[in-house]
Order: sequence, then C-alpha cells, then structure tokens
Amino acid sequence: MTGGQLRRGQWLGVLALIEREVLRRVLRLWMQTIAPQVVAAGLFVVVFGVALGNSIRTIGGVPYEQFIVPGLTLMGVATAAFSNNATTLYQARSEGFIEDQVSSPMTPTQLAIGYTVGGVVRGLFIGVLTLGAARLFVDFPVEHPLALAGALLCAALAFAGLGTVVGLYSRSWELQSFVGAIVIQPLVFLGGVFYSVASLDQPYEAASHADPILYLVEASRFGILGTADVDPWISFGVSFGLAAGLLAWSWALFARGVGLRT
Amino acid sequence: MSEISHRREASHSGAVAERGPVVRGARPLAWAAVDPGQHTVALSCRAVEKRFPGDVVALDGLDLEVPRGAFFGLLGPNGAGKTTIIRSIVGLTRPDAGDIEVFGLPAHGATATDSRRLVGYAPQDFGLDRFVTVRLLLELHGRYFGMSRRDAARRTDELLEVFDLTDKAGALPNRLSGGMRRRLVLARALVHRPPLVILDEPTAGVDIELRLDLWEYIRRLHADGTTILLTTHYLEEAEALCDRVAFIQHGRIAAQGDPAELLSRFGAERLEDVYLQLVGR
Repeated sequence: MTGGQLRRGQWLGVLALIEREVLRRVLRLWMQTIAPQVVAAGLFVVVFGVALGNSIRTIGGVPYEQFIVPGLTLMGVATAAFSNNATTLYQARSEGFIEDQVSSPMTPTQLAIGYTVGGVVRGLFIGVLTLGAARLFVDFPVEHPLALAGALLCAALAFAGLGTVVGLYSRSWELQSFVGAIVIQPLVFLGGVFYSVASLDQPYEAASHADPILYLVEASRFGILGTADVDPWISFGVSFGLAAGLLAWSWALFARGVGLRT
Repeated sequence: MSEISHRREASHSGAVAERGPVVRGARPLAWAAVDPGQHTVALSCRAVEKRFPGDVVALDGLDLEVPRGAFFGLLGPNGAGKTTIIRSIVGLTRPDAGDIEVFGLPAHGATATDSRRLVGYAPQDFGLDRFVTVRLLLELHGRYFGMSRRDAARRTDELLEVFDLTDKAGALPNRLSGGMRRRLVLARALVHRPPLVILDEPTAGVDIELRLDLWEYIRRLHADGTTILLTTHYLEEAEALCDRVAFIQHGRIAAQGDPAELLSRFGAERLEDVYLQLVGR
C-alpha cells in the first residue's frame, strides 16, 4: 500500500470523527444542542424586537427589530460553537473514550480539524435556524450574503477554537461554565448586539472597541443590513484575526497533547 | 461464540498460504504500511524513560522486545510501570527518553501515526462512547483507523458474531453488562485487524466464567498469528496463556524469558514464586 493510500486512510478517520460529532451527537441530541438556542433567539426577537421595538423605533435609521437580528444570530453561532467543543471534548476526555481517537493514526492536526468542523457546523446550523426563526417575526433584508456568511463563519471558527481550548484544559464542568457565563456572555451583550456603540458616551464607546465580539457583530450587521458602526474592512480584519488566533491556540494544544497525552 | 475455522488466505505478497486455526473474520492486516511478516520483532522498547510530576519515576530505562507471533505476558506489581509502557506504545504517553518501535516503525515522532495502525489496544480502564450504539462504536473505530465505511461495517458484523454481541448491536454501550463491555473493548481493539494486540489487565475484576471465555477469545486470536502483549496481576493467567513473560519492577524489566526457563533459573515451581523472589518476599 502506498503512502498516498495511507494518508487517505487518515482522512477517512477525520470524516468518521466529523460524522460522529455532527450526525451522532449534535443532530441526535437536537433537543439539547439545537432547540434551546433557537427558541431563546426567537424569544429575544419577540421580546426585544417586536414588543420593545414599539418604544425604540429606530437606531441609525434602521427599525429596532431589524437592528438586533444580526447580533442575535451572531450570539447564537458563537455560543453554540463554543459550548459544542467545550462540552464534547471535556466529556470525551473525562469518560476516556477520546483515547480511541488519540491512539488512532490521525494526526493532532486532523483531530483538531475534526472537532473544529463539528463546532462550526453546529454554530452555523444555529445561525441559519435563528435567521429563519427571526424571519417569522421580522422582515429584514440580507444586503451582502457573502459578507454575512463570512462573519458567521469567522464567529463559528473562533468560538469552536475557544471551546476546544476550554474543553482541553477543563478538569471539571466549572471552567466552561465560567468562560461561558463570565467571559463570553458579557462580551456578547457589551458588543453592541442590542444597541449601537456609537450612541455610547466616552469612555464607554472607546472601551467597546476593545471587545472583539463587537467586530463580529458589526461584520454580521453589515452583511444583513448593509450598514454598520465600524468600517467593514476593520470588522472583517479583526474577525479573521480572532478566528485565526483562537484556532492556532486550539491547534497548538492538540499538537502538544494537552489534556490528551500524559 | 463462533466456530474456529481453517482457511487459506492471501498473504501480503499475494501468495496463498495455509493458515492454522483462526477466529472467524480475523484476517491479516491488508492495508498496513509495512508487512509485519517481514519483521521478526513485533515490539521493541529501548531505554525508555518516563517521569511524572513530583519526580515519580514510572519507567527507568526499560528495555523490552516482543518477538512476532509471541504471546507475551508483562507482569508486575501496581505502580511498576506496566500501564505507562503500554500507553507509551500506543501514543497516549510520551516517554522522556528512549525508542519504541512497532514492527520497525517508530511509535513516536513525525511518522508515529503509521505504527498506530499496527496496534490494537484494549485498555484496563475502558471508556466507551456512550453516544453511539455498539455497532457504530466498532464501525467508527475501524474508520478512525483508516478503514472504508464498507470494510468497517463488514468487519463489525464479523466481530459482533465472534464476541456474541450481535443481539446488542443496537444498544448503547452504557446499557451493557460489565462482561459484555469487556468483550466489546476486546472487539474494538481488533476491528482494524492489528498484527499486535495489547491487552491491559483484560480479566481484572471479572468472574471466573467470563475470565475463561476471554482466555478462549484471546487464545484464538493468538492462534491466528496475532502477536499479543498481555499485562495481568493473575500469575496463573500468565502461566496458562503466555509463551514468554517479563517481570517489571520500578520501571525496569527485572527478568524475562519463557516460563519454563524462568522457573528453572529461579528454582521455582510457579511463576508466583519467581515474582515473590523478585519483589523480595
């Protein structure tokens, strides 16, 4: 058998890992992995957009119920991708069955790819369903579909990477709860999901620009509404950099065998 | 339990060879990078060292050689380094120094992934993926190790039958009895047809009936030409199964040889006496 066939065998392993993550875990456990986040996003649209939208008419000339859709979608993608990888890796490590994959011929890079794809697929799945749920209540355009796809993909990659990092470092469920509730959630809420950071006084407006999630939200908003508070090039540059940085971190942990090999 | 069969099988070179009794479905590795038959040594460990935090010396220059086709028993007290060397062979532990080769392929470094295809590992503390059925668990294992979906499915059917798990193919692993899970772990180690199978305490904590069943499975596997490295606390198990044993103590091999030779060298009647002499009791 040639080296090429052996390498092909390794990629067959990656496909099996992706199938295990996406079909056998995310979709089979849809009541835990998909439904709650889509329902939550729908409730946000109804409560904040449709109900409170009567009080807050427009932001920057955009109807409020439309204004919040990009941020809510982004929030769903980010939290789903993060929690997917943090949970699945910690579970597989704590219950020991990750050793089946780690002792296989797959390389650390291929393991990282397999798990990242699982988180990205779940994140994007949630994003698409959130947009669909929001469309039931709010009529919104999609001005730049490719830009929207790019923003959501960056968010999914970045937070799948962060979830991988947390999943590999975790020694209990506490770390991922902490990162989810104390780090990601505040950054998302302060990242301009429900308001325009341009409307904030200094120094809050300037401080908001230190929040990397702001750029993901603004990139997503540009994709849907065609308008944003931050220059789209800057938003996409920061979003891409965030995704690249977090993926590199997660890859480095796989390569070093952190949490996987003693 | 399926019957033992005799059959003619194509060797890697394409020639047809008469084989001895085999477990049904246990065929030679058809897609490995190397032909295990070309090597007389299945496993070679040279000067392997491993320290854990707290300056715990798990392996202290361990040398070990397992001939191809051997039924090799690795014996020693708790904490002697048995599991550490096994995990080092399969890539779950990274030695600080030394070399490990499986059929001539390095078990660590850039090409380590090639050697992993040649090893089947049944761990002592087995974790079974509780999100997939028994059948899928076996299929996924085969595919992780590079098998096509069809080949993995066919091999899974064979192993389910061999290990009397066909009726449980659709069950989740955490719904199985302890004995069934032991059999499933053993089956999982064999899905990708490895020429070297490592069994870490395969009968620890099981009742005598299951232990005898597992012995029978393992004997059949060995009869097929598979090299087996077995760790066990049960010295009578080593006496019953192994054609070569090594005693490991403080991270080094204290003595090794075939059982008769060891008994003669130590003037002992049983391996237990050899063991007690080595541990100084």
